[in-house]
Amino acid sequence: MTATAPTSDGLTADRPPSARPPVPGKTRRIMERREARIGLLFALPAFALFLLFRFGPAIAGVALSFFDYTIGVGAEWTGVENFRRMVDDPVFWSALRVTVVMSVLIVPVSLAISTFMALMVRRSFRGSGFYRSVFFLPVVTSLVLAATVFTWVFSSNGPWSKLMGTLGFSTDSWLGSTVLVLPALAMVAIWSRFGYGMLILLARMQDLPRELEEAASIDGAGAWKRFWHIIAPQLKPTLFFLAVIETTASFQIFDLVYVMTAGGPARASYNLVFYIYDQGFKYFDLGYASALGVALFAVTLVVAVIQRYLIGRDK
Amino acid sequence: MTLRTTKRLWTAALAVGTLGALSACAGGAGAGDSTPTPEDGAASGSVTMWTYPVIADEAAHKAFWDEQIAAFQEENPDVDVNVEIYPWAGRDETLATAIAGNKGPDVVYLIPDQIPKYSKSLAAVDNYVTDQVGDLRENAAQAVTVDGAMLGSPLVMNTKPLVCNAAVFDAIGESGNYPETWDDLMALAPKLKDAGYDATNYWGSVDATLNESFYPLLWQAGGSVFSEDGSSVAFDSPEGVEALQFAVDLAEGGFIEKDLLTTIPAFEQTNTAKGKIACTWQQGPGDVAGFWGEENVVVLPPLTEAESVAFGTVGSLSLLKTSKSLDAAGKWAAFATSPEVTAEYAKSAGWFSPYESESGLYGDDPVQSALEDSLQYTTAGEVNEKSREVMGVLAPEIQAALIGEKTPEQALKDAAAAADPLLG
Repeated sequence: MTATAPTSDGLTADRPPSARPPVPGKTRRIMERREARIGLLFALPAFALFLLFRFGPAIAGVALSFFDYTIGVGAEWTGVENFRRMVDDPVFWSALRVTVVMSVLIVPVSLAISTFMALMVRRSFRGSGFYRSVFFLPVVTSLVLAATVFTWVFSSNGPWSKLMGTLGFSTDSWLGSTVLVLPALAMVAIWSRFGYGMLILLARMQDLPRELEEAASIDGAGAWKRFWHIIAPQLKPTLFFLAVIETTASFQIFDLVYVMTAGGPARASYNLVFYIYDQGFKYFDLGYASALGVALFAVTLVVAVIQRYLIGRDK
Repeated sequence: MTLRTTKRLWTAALAVGTLGALSACAGGAGAGDSTPTPEDGAASGSVTMWTYPVIADEAAHKAFWDEQIAAFQEENPDVDVNVEIYPWAGRDETLATAIAGNKGPDVVYLIPDQIPKYSKSLAAVDNYVTDQVGDLRENAAQAVTVDGAMLGSPLVMNTKPLVCNAAVFDAIGESGNYPETWDDLMALAPKLKDAGYDATNYWGSVDATLNESFYPLLWQAGGSVFSEDGSSVAFDSPEGVEALQFAVDLAEGGFIEKDLLTTIPAFEQTNTAKGKIACTWQQGPGDVAGFWGEENVVVLPPLTEAESVAFGTVGSLSLLKTSKSLDAAGKWAAFATSPEVTAEYAKSAGWFSPYESESGLYGDDPVQSALEDSLQYTTAGEVNEKSREVMGVLAPEIQAALIGEKTPEQALKDAAAAADPLLG
C-alpha cells in the first residue's frame, strides 16, 4: 500500500513510501538556509586559517609595498616609489626574464611528460600500481634534498657531465654555464613535478568512456590519432588546471635556485622569487620586496588569464 | 544594506586594519635608548641572549654559558639570564623576523658584517665597557664601531691568513717553499697542475661572502671596497682590477677547481677536502686538519702584493634597544665579554680573545701560535650599512669575469655603476 500526500490542488498522488513528502516553499527555504549554515560552520575553520595565513599576509604584503619599511625604525609611506624604482631596476627585468624562460622550459615539457606517463600507466598490467607509486615518488621527495643530490649530478665530476663526455660534449658543469643552467634547473623541476600532473591526468583518463576509443580503433585509427582526436579534447579542462598550477609553481621556484646555483652563474638563474628573498631577508628592504611580490602576482594573474583564453575556454 | 556595499565596507575595514598595523610597527620597533648608561647598583630583570655554535660541541657550549650565568648572578642575583643557542643557517632571517615582530632577544651575537644592517635596532655598549675597551685590539674595536659608537662588545676573533698543505709541496718536490706573494703562488701553479693539484681554491658562488674570497685580494693589492667617507664604492680602481685579474688568471689557467666558481658543493667532495690544493686563504686550519692531517697543516702570513692583509671576523655581543631590561642586558654583555671570560670562550672554540692582555692562549701550539701572530694583519672588513647590498651586485659581476663572460675592468665598472646608487 502506498502512502499519499496532498498536492497543491488538493488531489492526492501515489508516491513510494521512501520518498520525502514535498515541503512547502517557505519551509524548504528555511531548511536550505539551515543546511547552508551547517555547511558554512564546517568550512569556517579552514576558511579562518586561509584568511589568517594566506589572504591576510597577501593583503598586508600589498599594503607594505607602498611603504619604506626598515627594521628597527618602522614603516614610512612612500606611495608608488617602490614601483617606480622597480620599473627602472635592470635586475628586476633580468629576474623577470629568467622567471619567464624557466616557466617556458618547464611547463610544456612537464605537461607533455605527465600526459605521456599517465597514458602509459592507465592500463592495468602487472606492476602498474608499483610504477604509479615510483613515478609519484619525486613529488613527495624533499626538494632541498633532491637539489643537493642534483648539484653533484650536474657537477663536472658528476654522472651527467660524464654522460655528456661520453656523447662527445664538454664535461663542464651545466650549473657553471650561463646558457645551460636554466635547462639543468628545468630538468630537476620537471623531474620533481611530473608525477603530480600524471596523477591528476590519470584520474581524469580513467573517467573517460572507453567506447569512443574502441570505436576509433575499430575504424582503423592509430594510437596517436586516438589520443589527439579523442582523448586530448576531453583532457582540456584538466590540462588547463595543470597549466595554471604548473605555471604558478614554476614562477615560485626557490629551493632549487637557492641550493643549486644561488642565482648564478652571473645571475643567469636569478629569478624573481630569489630577488624578492634577497631584498627582504638579505637587505631587509621589505617595502621593495613587497612591491616585487605584487609584480610577481600580477604577472602570474596575467598568464593565468591568457591560459584561460587559450586552453580553458569551451569552443 | 546591499551586497556591494557590504563588500566595500569589508575591503575598507581590511585596508584600514592593515595600515593601522603597519603604523603600529612604525612606532614600536624603533623605541628604546640608543646609548644607555649603567644604573647604579645591581641589575634586575630578565635577559635573553641569542648565540650560535661558536663552540661546536653543543653540550660544552651550553655548559660554558651556564657557568658564566652562575658567576654573573653572584653579583646580580636579581637578573635571570637565558642563553639560547641557534644554528648558524638562517640566523639573519630568524633575527630580522623576531625584531620586526618585537620578539627579539635582549643580547645577540653579531659579526661585523651584520652590525651595520641592524644598527637602527642596536644600542651602543660604550658606557658598559669603559673598563675594558682600552685593552681591545684596534682591529677588533674598529670592527664593531659604527659612526663612533660601539654597537657590539667583542667576544672572540678569528683570522684566515694563508694555510698550506705540506704534503702537496712534498709531492711536487717543493718542500718548505711556501708562497709569500701572488707571484710566488702563480709561479708554483703550473707545476702543481701538472702533478694533479690546484694552486688554491676560490669560492666564487654568489652566495659565498666576498670577505673571504675577493676582498682579501683587493686589500692585498692596496685597494678598498668603499671610499674613505663610505659614500661611494672604490673597488673599480686599478687595484681592484689587478686583484680580479689575479683570480681570473688562476681560473683561466685551470689552477683552481672550476665547480667552486659557481656552486657550493658539499665540502668533502671538493679538491680542498681531498687534499688536492696547495694553499688557501678561505679555509682555516680547523676546516682542513681533519682532511689533510694535522701534521700537514702549515699556517703562514697572508699573501702579499702591495700589502699583507687577511680577513678575520670578530664575534661580538650587541644590545637590542627594545630590550625591556636594557641595563641588565648591558651589564650581562659587559660581563660576558670581559677579558677573562673571552679568553676561556675563545680557547674552547679554538679562536682568540679580542684583548691584547689575553694573548698566548695556546702556549707552544705551532698552528694556533702562527694564527694568533696573524691577527696583526687581520681586518674584519669595511663597516658600511650597505656592505651586503654592494656585495650582492658585485659578486655576480666577479663571477661573470671568472667564467670569462666579462673582462675584469668591465665587470668592476658594471658593479660600481649598480652599487653607487645604493649608497645614495
